Amino acid sequence: MSMLSIKGITKRFGGVTAVDDVSFEVFEGTIHAVIGPNGAGKSTAFNVMTGFDKPDAGTVTFEGETITGLKPHRIVKRGVVRTFQNTMLFDEMTALENVLVGMHVRTRVGFLGAALVLPGVRAEERLAREEAHRMLRVVGLDEEAGATAGDMPHGQRRLLEIARALGAGPKLMLLDEPAAGLNNAETAQLAETLRRIRDTGVTIVVVEHDMGLVMDVSDEIVVLNEGRKIAEGPPLLIQKDPAVIEAYLGEEALDA
Amino acid sequence: METSELLQLVIAGLKNGSIYALLALGFTIVYAATNVINFAQGEFYMLGGMFAVFAFTRFGLPLVLAVPVAVLVVAGIGVLFERLAIRPRKDAEPMALIIITVGGSLVFASLARHAFGSDALPLPEFTPGPSIPFAGAAIERQALWIWGIVLVTVAGLTFLYGKTRLGRAMRACMQNREAARLMGIDTARVVMISFGLAAALGALAGVAVTPLTSTRFDIGAGIAVKGFAAAILGGLGSPLAAVAGGLLLGLIEQAVIPFSSALKDVVALAVLLAVLFLRPQGLFRRSRREKV
Amino acid sequence: MSAPGKRNILAAVAIAICAVAIVALPFVVADRYILRILTVVGINVIMVAGLSLLFGYAGQISLGQAAFYGLGAYTSGYLAKAGVPWLVALVGGVGVAALGGLLIALPSLRLKGHYLAMATLGFGEIMLFFFTETESITGGSNGLRGIPPASIGPLEFATPVAKYFLVWAVVAIVLLLAANVVRHRPGRALRAIHGSEMGAQACGIDTVRVKIQVFVISAGLGGLAGVLYGHYVGFVSPSTFTLHYSLILVTMVALGGMGSLGGAVAGTVLLTLLPFIDAIIPGLPRTTVAVLQDWTNDIYGLVLILVMLFMPRGLAGWARSLVARLAERGSARVPGGERA
Repeated sequence: MSMLSIKGITKRFGGVTAVDDVSFEVFEGTIHAVIGPNGAGKSTAFNVMTGFDKPDAGTVTFEGETITGLKPHRIVKRGVVRTFQNTMLFDEMTALENVLVGMHVRTRVGFLGAALVLPGVRAEERLAREEAHRMLRVVGLDEEAGATAGDMPHGQRRLLEIARALGAGPKLMLLDEPAAGLNNAETAQLAETLRRIRDTGVTIVVVEHDMGLVMDVSDEIVVLNEGRKIAEGPPLLIQKDPAVIEAYLGEEALDA
Repeated sequence: METSELLQLVIAGLKNGSIYALLALGFTIVYAATNVINFAQGEFYMLGGMFAVFAFTRFGLPLVLAVPVAVLVVAGIGVLFERLAIRPRKDAEPMALIIITVGGSLVFASLARHAFGSDALPLPEFTPGPSIPFAGAAIERQALWIWGIVLVTVAGLTFLYGKTRLGRAMRACMQNREAARLMGIDTARVVMISFGLAAALGALAGVAVTPLTSTRFDIGAGIAVKGFAAAILGGLGSPLAAVAGGLLLGLIEQAVIPFSSALKDVVALAVLLAVLFLRPQGLFRRSRREKV
Repeated sequence: MSAPGKRNILAAVAIAICAVAIVALPFVVADRYILRILTVVGINVIMVAGLSLLFGYAGQISLGQAAFYGLGAYTSGYLAKAGVPWLVALVGGVGVAALGGLLIALPSLRLKGHYLAMATLGFGEIMLFFFTETESITGGSNGLRGIPPASIGPLEFATPVAKYFLVWAVVAIVLLLAANVVRHRPGRALRAIHGSEMGAQACGIDTVRVKIQVFVISAGLGGLAGVLYGHYVGFVSPSTFTLHYSLILVTMVALGGMGSLGGAVAGTVLLTLLPFIDAIIPGLPRTTVAVLQDWTNDIYGLVLILVMLFMPRGLAGWARSLVARLAERGSARVPGGERA
């Protein structure tokens, strides 16, 4: 059975249909890419899947339960976390603190407990910090634990956001253009990191522009164009799909 | 209640409402250009009255000169405030700019106390004389002036926005500042002029109302809340909606007077909270969705 | 040693020195006037601790904190005059203020920035109106007179020294609890909401719930300060709970630095003492003192503007960079650690 199932998702903004009756399945333990030209509806689909937008029609099912329309924090609690196209880090906090915030759903201390330092608070804090350091190691940022997020270079910020998402102990990670703005070396490092994360048992859905990265890491690809799904399949098939080539060639020609 | 009493309340409502409308216009114009709510807007109103009184009594200028001088001086203060305190942080988070204008409000009120003292200062009516009887009610001559000022202001703004290059630039900034800048519009100049214009309108309201209420250094904050309530009623978008919001607020205030005159002062606040909580986009605008 | 490490030690030393000074002061200084001023400083510190959590940490501005101050003061004053024991009156005052916070928090949650600023300002002014108009409870503009001093059982805090110690004991508890909050999970959630609300939601933070919580806490602390104030002065009137006071509280937090409890406390102490400068620095020329007092509000306003323009991280940010520079001279950067 699939881990995540998208059925007939439609989302309109005013007169524009950003996502039009899109369905696909994500299986556990895979890296699944969602690609498509600019304005294809990829980010909107992500927003719908993570509760940041409500769909006009369709359902999102995670592990057999409907999560459509749930608040974002509830969806995180179920084990689905996301990153953003424009990283949404806490710039005034350190890298370590960012990951600690990411662990919010895995920790319990509330206002009263923290204020009175009730029994267990210290232990939880210590464990959380150890775990946060481990997450930073996964993405190769352990050296930067004390750096202020706002001062970090772009490539590190992308990785930090992934570490923060890992903090929630997710079953499924949705990454929105994680390679945007990265150079070749950083992209290669990112691919390595994604595979390492998948190998720990986390399923990954990635919206991405960088075709090299997508073809390199994905097990399965969904192609959107103008809000509709136009193709679906493993990388080798997608590369040869005439509909995909047409959609992309159009864009490449414009870009060139 | 007799119709003449009712009419009298309506007249008073439209008179006060016109003042709120001028303040609401000031809020709206600055907000359109900068996305900043200028908490010092009420101080421009206070300073307008103050400078007019000062020019009239100390310098002995005739009112016909004292009034424009006061408005121009305050417009200059508005421009200066923008240059010195807003522009250096224009890209900061909105919170920082709010706080700066709050600081400006404290400073303006306090400086006014040093300059003009802490007494209430009167100004004669523009055209002294008995009230004009109208269908059993009476209209103060000054109220006619206030309405005239609002009409001329609306006409002037309509002309500015519709027929001039500057107005088109201001409208473009209102739609999308970044796009306007890319189109080659000098947005910094638009922001500066918007502050000057808003200050001038605030001052005009202050000058026009001082003959009826006199003025004091600490009246700015109170009137700013009412002007903001009017602006919020209008939805902080179109100037005409701001004027409508002002007039409506003035009428609502009068509507509670038959029940309790003490309530009049709290009505604007209640309206403000009700609109903020229930219809933050204002009465006249369709709901707008912020994109993720 | 790393900058954070050095900072923690410096902070501990500073706190210890302050604590000793506060305890020793009544035994050293005979002047009761100074004690009274410092008691007011303590009350303001409690007030600002609440606003610091709400505004300094969570980034939710409130221009209506004076309302909670008033709710606390009037409620406990009214109850105490009716013969209710002080501790019960205190709980009542804090509870009513916290309820007021809940009342304004619920509808305000959708509002941001200037909308929230105006909503809280409007709430503050409406409460001021009620303080003035509900004469049977509040005494109207004449105020509520004859509020008995605080007492716990037979222990009565009637003398200036006793009141001073009571207020500062509460200050110590409040600051300790608040410091614990900001160092742990809930404090990080507050700063996350300030940093990026969507980012916080993506981390699984129920931002609505956390915002309500911090609004209520900050209102409760405002109420607590109000309770102490009412029983300290013995008289409360609407003229204390004005917009002006709310604005000064915001100035204190901004001067101290967003996201810093210690900074907010420093800002409070400095700005509260400003009009009483003559009592703190004896021998100042009379004219200087008079000018400073006359220009207090101009200085508050200017401080707000200048801090926002040139020192957006406030006193705390300035202290941090100072310590960081010292540490850099000491040794190379050590990985790990965090910012206090």
